[in-house]
Amino acid sequence: MGDAVTASASLGATPGPEGAAAPVLAISGVSMRFGAVQVLFDIDFDLRAGEVHALIGENGAGKSTTMKILAGYQPPSGGQVLLDGAPVDFAGSQQAEAAGVVMIHQEFNLAQQLTVEENIFLGRELRRGPFLDHRRMQAESRALLERLNCAVDPRAAVSDISVPNRQMVEIAKALGREARVLIMDEPTAVLTTRETEILLEQIDRLRAAGTAILYTSHKLDEVARIADRVTVLRDGRHVLTAPASDLSTDRMAEVMVGRELSDLFPPKPLPGDETVLKVEGITIPGLIHDAGFTLRRGEVLGFAGLVGAGRTELMEAIVGLRHAAGRVEIKGQQLAGGSVRAARQAGLVYLTEDRKEKGLLLGKDLTQNLTLLALDRFTNLLIDRQAEAAALDRAITEFDIRAGDRGMNVGNLSGGNQQKLLLAKTMLAEPDIVIIDEPTRGIDIGTKQQIYAFIAALAAAGKSVIVVSSELPEVIGLSNRVAVMAEGRIAGVLEGDEINEQTIVRLAIGMAGSEARAS
Amino acid sequence: MKRRSFLNTIAATALAAGGMTATGAIAQDQSYTIGVAIPSATHGFMGGLNFHAQDTIKRLEATYPQLTFVLATAGDAGTMVNDIEDMVATRNIDALVVLPFESAPLTSPVQAVADAGIWVTVVDRGLSVEGIEDLYVAGDNTGFGRVAGEYFAETLSEGDKIVVLRGIPTTLDNERVDAFSAAIEGSGVEVLDMQHGNWNRDDAFNVMQDYLSRFPEIDAVWAADDDMAIGALEAIAQAGRSEEMWVVGGAGMKEIIARMMENDPQLPVNVTYPPAQISTAIELTALGLVSSTPVSGRFIIGSQLITPENAEQFYFPDSPF
Amino acid sequence: MTKTATSPATRASPTVNLHVLGPVLALLLLIALGAWLNPNFLSYGNVTNVLARSAFIGIIAVGMTFVITAGGIDLSVGAMAAFVAGLMILAMNSLIPIMGVGIPVILAGMAVAMVAGFIAGWLNGFLVAKVGIEAFIVTLGSMGIYRSLVTWIADGGTLSLNFDLRTLYRPVYYDGILGVAWPIIVFAAVAILGEILMRRTAFGRHCAAIGANEQVARYSAVNVDRVRIATFVLLGMLVGLATIMYVPRLGSASGSTGVLWELEAIAAVIIGGTVLKGGFGRVWGTVIGVLILSLIGNILNLASLVSPYLNGTIQGVIVILAVVLQREKKAAGAR
Repeated sequence: MGDAVTASASLGATPGPEGAAAPVLAISGVSMRFGAVQVLFDIDFDLRAGEVHALIGENGAGKSTTMKILAGYQPPSGGQVLLDGAPVDFAGSQQAEAAGVVMIHQEFNLAQQLTVEENIFLGRELRRGPFLDHRRMQAESRALLERLNCAVDPRAAVSDISVPNRQMVEIAKALGREARVLIMDEPTAVLTTRETEILLEQIDRLRAAGTAILYTSHKLDEVARIADRVTVLRDGRHVLTAPASDLSTDRMAEVMVGRELSDLFPPKPLPGDETVLKVEGITIPGLIHDAGFTLRRGEVLGFAGLVGAGRTELMEAIVGLRHAAGRVEIKGQQLAGGSVRAARQAGLVYLTEDRKEKGLLLGKDLTQNLTLLALDRFTNLLIDRQAEAAALDRAITEFDIRAGDRGMNVGNLSGGNQQKLLLAKTMLAEPDIVIIDEPTRGIDIGTKQQIYAFIAALAAAGKSVIVVSSELPEVIGLSNRVAVMAEGRIAGVLEGDEINEQTIVRLAIGMAGSEARAS
Repeated sequence: MKRRSFLNTIAATALAAGGMTATGAIAQDQSYTIGVAIPSATHGFMGGLNFHAQDTIKRLEATYPQLTFVLATAGDAGTMVNDIEDMVATRNIDALVVLPFESAPLTSPVQAVADAGIWVTVVDRGLSVEGIEDLYVAGDNTGFGRVAGEYFAETLSEGDKIVVLRGIPTTLDNERVDAFSAAIEGSGVEVLDMQHGNWNRDDAFNVMQDYLSRFPEIDAVWAADDDMAIGALEAIAQAGRSEEMWVVGGAGMKEIIARMMENDPQLPVNVTYPPAQISTAIELTALGLVSSTPVSGRFIIGSQLITPENAEQFYFPDSPF
Repeated sequence: MTKTATSPATRASPTVNLHVLGPVLALLLLIALGAWLNPNFLSYGNVTNVLARSAFIGIIAVGMTFVITAGGIDLSVGAMAAFVAGLMILAMNSLIPIMGVGIPVILAGMAVAMVAGFIAGWLNGFLVAKVGIEAFIVTLGSMGIYRSLVTWIADGGTLSLNFDLRTLYRPVYYDGILGVAWPIIVFAAVAILGEILMRRTAFGRHCAAIGANEQVARYSAVNVDRVRIATFVLLGMLVGLATIMYVPRLGSASGSTGVLWELEAIAAVIIGGTVLKGGFGRVWGTVIGVLILSLIGNILNLASLVSPYLNGTIQGVIVILAVVLQREKKAAGAR
């Protein structure tokens, strides 16, 4: 991901930001409040034909709300939405779609059980007489997907295709609707580097065809690569709109956070000598082959690898979420397999990459989420609710969790605050060994820095941490050692100077031997 | 149940005679299959009916080796139709004895059976179209209500107050209640309320409890079914008002009959509605097949009053009902 | 969305949302209606009747609240109650020749009921949690099994408890302490313990977590299978307890005992505000739901408002209304 930065400025034939083209869709003086809480203050923003306009900001800065107002999901509390210069009042997303404004959600809006083709044509099915014209719909779906270099069979069920492909189907669906304005909410959050590259090429093509595109991402290098203009929001206020060529990624980050970001990564504390975790011969047929490693007290061990290399599966096997052959030893004691509870009692906890589906109960309040893992610590026949409330107080302070109301549903927290809550929940179990899977996925840079500092502090306090991440700078910046996985095997464990992008990538794509130079 | 015994007697005699003629006139290897379709034993009365059906079949199969019976019990009308279709298609039945779960839905399937030349005996509940069945054997629902009503009219005096527990809302229940109402008309007996107890002990218990809360004076209860009578009696006992009123149930459940035999003042009389009518129907059908005795027509088994004096005749300790 | 960090000093007070009041409101309306229609409605006798007869469904519905909260359902409870009642009567009748008529026989009968309930519940739970069959299907199957088993052991008729034993056992339904009947006392105790279990223990919290998202619960070191089985076992034992209160009432069991109790119990749970698909349960709401259902029947019997043929309609309308009331309050309260 870090490789495209330098190339970015030259790509994309940009019409001047000072705009020959008139805005297709704009908001003017828009404010938004939910009950007593105001989340947007007097925002101006516009999208022009043939231009990619990136909207960036920390979690909770108001990006989602702005997008929802533009796409007709929510009417603003104040101000105007302008379509082709004239005020409009979208009564809902359908009306906005009819006007050519389509939003692609981070959580996809696809019917899982239907096929790709059925999804692409959902609501505007082609008919021949009274019957559905499947042949034509399939042909058109295939054509749309080919434009996206996506080899998915239109007859496959959405539930059977991979997450990146679902993203492509979402985009194909929008293309099929002849969108004039495409609003993309973190489209690359779930994509691999290669897939991201394909997507960005598609965006280039759409831009050339005159589509107006709103693009959000936490990956600022992507923003620099694709955007013509950049608008930064902070705490619901408009901070800056500037041509992308005038902004470096560092500058973007600084404006977003509102302070200077010194070093993103804290210094690495030195690990101790004692081995606290020893993993041997973990094997899950078809997924993991004979994986083994050790972890020392106070050490941060990074796990790198391509998506699908088996990192998550290995971690789940170690903590007892998956059945696997092999042996896990914690401080010399063998851990009984297949029991998350046993692992937790031995001081080993796992923090999932999928916080929405596996980490948090989105429909419950903060307290119930916070104490779920370590509930026994609050229970003496009955749950001590005062102790729970006190624990939440501590967690809010310690992890800087920003919630409007502590009784609110966790699903309404921003991604960064959810991640901090998940961390707090995990730490409440007072573990000695923490496995954190994708600690900063979908999180803004300010929160990232907080989480990095926290991981370093954990290690400094004598805990041991495993960080599984697809973001190489993160793995490199945090870890004392880095294990690289490829196709279910641990391809190598790097130390000291060996920890650099080239070596890691080479191991990850299965090129053994340190002489080979990856290109 | 004098009439039943009487009918049984003819049937048995005729069967015996038929049996004798059969040895002479009809080849022994001529075998018959009789299908019997009845509702499953979901409450006391049907339990009794199931008992009598199985009992009769066992007895007849022992007596007549050339007879085979296919018994099917169904929990709803649809299942009963399926059962009947299966009997015709796979068991080649020569005769069908059916107690229709409901009249209307069973009418055309049974008609189809009759049209195929199979002997049809209908029990208890008539079909919606007349003249389909070869033989109709039934209890007397009108009589059931009337006999009870007459007893109320005779025993109570003008201005006395009664409450009624009805069954599950069906034609059968309507016939009984209408006949009961007609019989007490003009007697001056006041019906305080009629609510459905669904032929169920628990429901009747609840309804009776509420009657007792609501009406300070009740002289008698027509519970229309012995299961409901048991629930009602329990509610009355709980309220401590046993002295105040008596209860008339119906269908001659053995527990009730036993209490009548001990002259329980709360249970002065009962009205028959014999579950053994199925025996009559099966016996007559068998008779029609194995002999040349003409058995077609209608047999209505009248409802009669059981009193402590004649209760012993109606006591069947082996029946589950 | 907000930048205001919550000050740790502001403690969450138990907020009483408007939607919580929906079922309570419906109950109060019904009570007012009943009192207005019939002066005897609020009499000691009638109140005792209604509460005591609610006890069976009520005790079962409390257990059902846990099963539903954990994302399950149990359709077999009505048939299970009939079957357990049948077994209990059978056991007590056959113990009389050995033990004689006396309290030990009754205690033995109660033990049989609890053990039978435990086993029946465990079987349901085992099939759901360990074998992985949908709760709906498992309990639909066991419903049929128990219903036909009771018909079979009763030989299609009615199982009746020995008359002398019945006289001895009868007070368990009809008597009480200080004028409060035993079923009411037991129901109240079950409800209070259930509320505490749901609201204040790890078990209750785990039930809600499993119902809300089984994956999250698994990843949070909750022993999902064990909790799930425990909900069914709890329900089974409460069915046993309900049966212990039921048998002394009429002293009998038959194929028609407990018909549709499962639906009444489920309806009461949902009226009370528990979410049918799991994740949130409210035991006190269930109690309100049970009372609403019993009161509707009671008022209709007391008042003869409409043709008895329409009783079902009135019940249906009130059930739906109670839930709608709650839904609208919920939508308003959610902002």
